[in-house]
Amino acid sequence: MLLHIARRLIQLIPLLFGVTLVSFVVIQLSPGDFLAEMRLNPVVDSATVEAMRRNFGLDQPMHVQYFKWLWNLLRLDFGYSFAYHVPVMWLIGSRLLNSVVLNIAALILAWVVAIPIGIHAATKQYSWSDNSLSMTAYLGISTPTFFSALLLLLLAFKTGWLPIGGMTSLDYDFLPWYGKILDVGRHLIIPASVLGFGAAAGLMRQMRGNLLEVLRQDYVRTARSKGLAERPVIYRHAVRNAINPLITIFGFELGGLLGGAVVIEIVTGWPGVGRLIFDAIVQKDLYVVMGSLLIGSVTLVVGNLVADILLAVADPRIRYD
Amino acid sequence: MRRIVVSAVAAILLVAVVALAAQQKFTLPGIPNPDVATYAPEIGKYGGTYVTSTISDPRTFNAIVSQDTVSSAVTDVMFDSLVGENYITGEIVPALAESWTVSPDGRTWVFTLRQGVQWSDGKPLTMADVLFSLKAIFTEGVDNSIRSVLTFDDKPVQYRALDNRRIQFRTERPIGLFLRFIGFNVMPAHKLADVLAKGGAEFSKTWGINVNPREMVGSGAFLLAQYVPGQRIVMLRNTNYYVVDTKGQRLPYLTRYVILIVPGLEQSRLKFLARETDAYAARAREFAELKAQERAGNFTIYDGPETFSSEFVVFNQNPAGISGPKLAWFQDVRFRRALNHAIDRATISQQIHAGRSTAAWGPVSVGNKLYHNPNLPQYAYNLDRAQQLLAEAGYRKGSDGTLRDAQGNIVEFVISTNAGNPDREAIGNILRQDWTKLGIRVTFAPESFPSLVGKLTGTYKWDAIVIGLTGGIEPGTGRNVWLTTGDLHMWRPNQSSPATDWEREVDNLFEQIAREANQEKRKALYFRWQQIIAEQVPIAYFAYPKTQPAVRNTIGNVKIGLQGVTGTLETRYYKGVLRP
Repeated sequence: MLLHIARRLIQLIPLLFGVTLVSFVVIQLSPGDFLAEMRLNPVVDSATVEAMRRNFGLDQPMHVQYFKWLWNLLRLDFGYSFAYHVPVMWLIGSRLLNSVVLNIAALILAWVVAIPIGIHAATKQYSWSDNSLSMTAYLGISTPTFFSALLLLLLAFKTGWLPIGGMTSLDYDFLPWYGKILDVGRHLIIPASVLGFGAAAGLMRQMRGNLLEVLRQDYVRTARSKGLAERPVIYRHAVRNAINPLITIFGFELGGLLGGAVVIEIVTGWPGVGRLIFDAIVQKDLYVVMGSLLIGSVTLVVGNLVADILLAVADPRIRYD
Repeated sequence: MRRIVVSAVAAILLVAVVALAAQQKFTLPGIPNPDVATYAPEIGKYGGTYVTSTISDPRTFNAIVSQDTVSSAVTDVMFDSLVGENYITGEIVPALAESWTVSPDGRTWVFTLRQGVQWSDGKPLTMADVLFSLKAIFTEGVDNSIRSVLTFDDKPVQYRALDNRRIQFRTERPIGLFLRFIGFNVMPAHKLADVLAKGGAEFSKTWGINVNPREMVGSGAFLLAQYVPGQRIVMLRNTNYYVVDTKGQRLPYLTRYVILIVPGLEQSRLKFLARETDAYAARAREFAELKAQERAGNFTIYDGPETFSSEFVVFNQNPAGISGPKLAWFQDVRFRRALNHAIDRATISQQIHAGRSTAAWGPVSVGNKLYHNPNLPQYAYNLDRAQQLLAEAGYRKGSDGTLRDAQGNIVEFVISTNAGNPDREAIGNILRQDWTKLGIRVTFAPESFPSLVGKLTGTYKWDAIVIGLTGGIEPGTGRNVWLTTGDLHMWRPNQSSPATDWEREVDNLFEQIAREANQEKRKALYFRWQQIIAEQVPIAYFAYPKTQPAVRNTIGNVKIGLQGVTGTLETRYYKGVLRP
């Protein structure tokens, strides 16, 4: 197992090299650069713009820029943001935790809701509760998240029950520790439920389908026919086997913990990395884009690795050695 | 958004008050001659929080490096300058410099620093700080745009301290607008000299958004207390500020100034309506809706004046970018005039600004009371007239409905703009529809902003572009756009000698404007320039949108100024009952 993990981590290196090289070239080849805004400023002359270009190192050939970046990366220096004049790591780090909090809250919500409902729907196939839950799930899958987020924000505005976007209130810093948690919790409700229920809809359909498949298997019939009660049949035997594909999905979701909520973050004003990355791409703030790509790739690979390990733990049939 | 000494357009009553105030001599401990906020209509009371919102994060808190509006909104409040601008009249007024003189030849300016001004940590603000800031501006590697502003004919302005309180600036030729260029923020030498010694790149990174606000000191009305990325900026009252109200009480009144960072204008509006913020710069189409909610929301929305920003379409006349018949069409003033007649400004105003804008015929906004020329030639929307002008210039609309030039070439070109700006995209579509009716094959192709600017200032390979520029009260500061040698002389930049007679005349006008210190004489020169641009149509302007600022009724000292500014921060106060 350890060998397998080590091998997977080593495979990460060429993968990251490829991902960064391709994205670096693509970003640089697309027309225009970060200094576009300055060029359009009537009081700034081209000498000043050129000086800034030199300061940023943008005047050097592309391969020189790339290898400089790579060399600095080996020393854990992710470079500076053109727009903010601060290290890329500080910039991303200042918002990373916020994104993680939101995504974990949504993840927990999604799984806590989806798994029991999926099991219920499978065991009561074609009952009125299954049908109505399926209906709800279709609605959840097909409604764009930004739309439901906007609707909820409007509801928050009309009723005054919840804050309109953001993550903390004005008086956050004057609150005691439990007040701070409550405050963030209140702000979390809209973005986390939009994200969570959106994901739950898909998960629930997955769970239902998998479980139905398993319930048709011979060993389930055997278990039932030897007189085992329905609860142990389902929870001890069937669900255990039906959950494998969901663990793989879980791994992918772990990979999306950072950048998985860009749209929701932008709509609800959640101060995560999503908005930052989006702006950086639009403005061509090169090293911020590169840094976030790198982090995104690493988390995706690590998330999948975690899923594989969990699979091995959950299913004794799976071995990697 | 700064101080004022005596308002030229004040009502008689106000003049009386001002005269009274001028007689009264105030002092603050250690400051024999504090600045007096005579422009504030009311005497306020202390305490309270004022909350506004913005739609993007600041990029730095270093005033010299700062270039974007959000960063400047913080640094301009935290660091004062030698001179300021009265937000109602646009006049230059004293700030850190209490007075100034100019030599008869207009080349030497001497500013006298106000005595006794202190940084927020109690250290005196001295000539050393002014000299340090100038040194930083001109240090290689310090990314700033002030250097461009203080460089005349490729030579940086010369400066030296005459004594402890007086600094002299000298330029090669007279600079009439010098006062407009000298408003850089003064930074504290005692905090930053060590950093600058390490080099310009190091200085650019200092006092960035990762700064610990406690390390910073300021001279302005409020000081940065906290920045939470993506959420808010909190500023607190500077108890050492050097401005007093007309009763001699030290400003500012407010204890706390908070800028919430929201994802977009929609959330900005909701937060204002939910009373989470105290002010909102509404969009034109929201005016009627907000007007109806004034009473319920306890706010007032004002019918503000037009902004100085312009939106326009520019036609490429640059042989370095396009060639052949296309170049000939765009270089033909008759062609440009015909197209100008086919711009439906009424529809643009209705669709984009809900009617709250004024048709634009030249480069200076109606909102600029000092320099707008009201008698420019106008190009009424008239497709028949446009067709007739094209026919006079040799263009023929064939039986297939396609316009051909005198040589029989089909007239076709591409309009571009930056994608993601819904207003410009709507304007582009209106232009395409109308110009298609003239028989021209028009394609409308929005593209990304960096790519568009790359074409406009780099490859020059474009036909027509819909874009906008921000403007100041003195159009003479836009030399980069109007001089034929300028990089932003969009239709044909960086010319070695003017390609046309009218461009030569504009060049001469701008050189005269740059030298002219007399505002009335500048006005005459600006009028002539606007006339030329309106006649030659290198750029066709659409409309100057009005502003519609909304402010909560609990906020005091609200008075609408240029571009819809609602007042100054140091005189803002909270009228409501404060919580203990």
